[in-house]
Amino acid sequence: MSSSESFEALRRANPRARAGFGPAVDAAAEAVRARVTAASEARTVRPRASRRAVGVSVLGVSIAAAAVAVVLSLGSPGGGPGVESATAAVKKAGTVTASSAERSGTARVRIMHTGTVWAASLIRWNGSDLALGRDTPQRPGQATSEFLVVDGMMYGIDPEGGWMELGPPSSIDPGSGTTPAEYLAAVREDVGGETLRRITGAMAGLTTTQLGGSSTAYRGTVAAGLIAPRIGFKEGQAIRMFPFGYVAHGAAADPSAPLDVVVTVGGDGVIHRIAVSWPSWTYTIDYSKLGATVAPQAPVHARPLNRGVPSN
Amino acid sequence: MTDRERSARFEELFGSYGADIVAYCGWRTGSASDAQDAVAEVFLIAWRRLDDLPEGDGARIWLYATARRVIANQRRSIRRRIALQERLAREPVSAAEGPSGFDATVREALSRLGPRDREVLLLAEWEGLSPAEIAAVIGCQPVTARGRLHRARRRFRVVFESLVSSGKEEDHEQLGELRSPA
Repeated sequence: MSSSESFEALRRANPRARAGFGPAVDAAAEAVRARVTAASEARTVRPRASRRAVGVSVLGVSIAAAAVAVVLSLGSPGGGPGVESATAAVKKAGTVTASSAERSGTARVRIMHTGTVWAASLIRWNGSDLALGRDTPQRPGQATSEFLVVDGMMYGIDPEGGWMELGPPSSIDPGSGTTPAEYLAAVREDVGGETLRRITGAMAGLTTTQLGGSSTAYRGTVAAGLIAPRIGFKEGQAIRMFPFGYVAHGAAADPSAPLDVVVTVGGDGVIHRIAVSWPSWTYTIDYSKLGATVAPQAPVHARPLNRGVPSN
Repeated sequence: MTDRERSARFEELFGSYGADIVAYCGWRTGSASDAQDAVAEVFLIAWRRLDDLPEGDGARIWLYATARRVIANQRRSIRRRIALQERLAREPVSAAEGPSGFDATVREALSRLGPRDREVLLLAEWEGLSPAEIAAVIGCQPVTARGRLHRARRRFRVVFESLVSSGKEEDHEQLGELRSPA
């Protein structure tokens, strides 16, 4: 085999020659559109707390105006003035909610399959403290949460019952993805705005329904790849993940599949629920107590991790 | 620059180099969704820093270098997320990513190279960058990039030809010596 043959083989393997490359570029253009628009919207609603902030905000308005022009040219769903207004409203709600969730909040995440609960979680955070737990009916004696981070100490459920101290952050390898700071960073990425902006920024075909209690439901479609953008690994297989670590089953595994999305915004301008549905599946995130969730408490009788290890 | 001029420049930028950055992010991340996320982030940075972007082909190199940094940050974030997913996700697996579709022998040969070798080789062969441009993207001297590229080409050729001419099992020990440090 000659040198040129090996390099010809390499050049033939260039991803540009693959069948899916054109659609990948189109999908990227859509993602660019959503990201630029969401960023521009976020800048326009920044509060004017000072003289300097006013300057930033004015710049934000001009950037947003230019962004709209750009994203339209990159390919955007059509719509009249009403749709534009709904688009702006739902994006603004995303930004307001992300801001409200910055300090503390509660998210109830649930995935339903053919009408029954497939999996559910309750996530509470307050500053640096975090509680992750199942949100399914409890059995007698079962602890309310399965994982806690309180004052930098991690706690988990002891297989023999009760709580167990998993250790301080110093006992964990930095960068391993398992320090409390890294857990919190991952959760905040989901609840603290990035997920909300990505979903609300990409909604197409928007319609609006006025609900009771001053709430508004915004309905539209979003490509599955923008809602479940991450790839994880489970039992050696790559899987696509929804926010908060839920596996995207069925049609949602196809990143180009349009999924039905309903964003419910309360009279306070904050998103209360995001519901995503596709054949036989529903995925919902309910936000509550944003900015008003109390910090989780450390378990009183947690045993150290190394207790009970027989000594020689 | 007026808003209209900014829009036109951004449009031209994506039109000229969008496919390049999609391709680059695709082979660097190995996942369509992560690639898409990285491309969106790269062009968001470009949008914000449009006034600072170099003109002409310099913009292309700037985009590659920015994409490289974005992907490095993304990998750190993904490590965190996977740890969290393992704790939260307790569901049966229903979806798996299919094979990427490019030639299996080339892919196997590339996987047996060290990450530095693989990066410079593909920047040259798939992205069409010169050694000087590769140096600008990865942040080293042109002479260093040229040397790395030379070694990477040699290693790829040896690995690829070995895979083609004999079984992978027989080659395993011998090829291990060719790996460059991560």
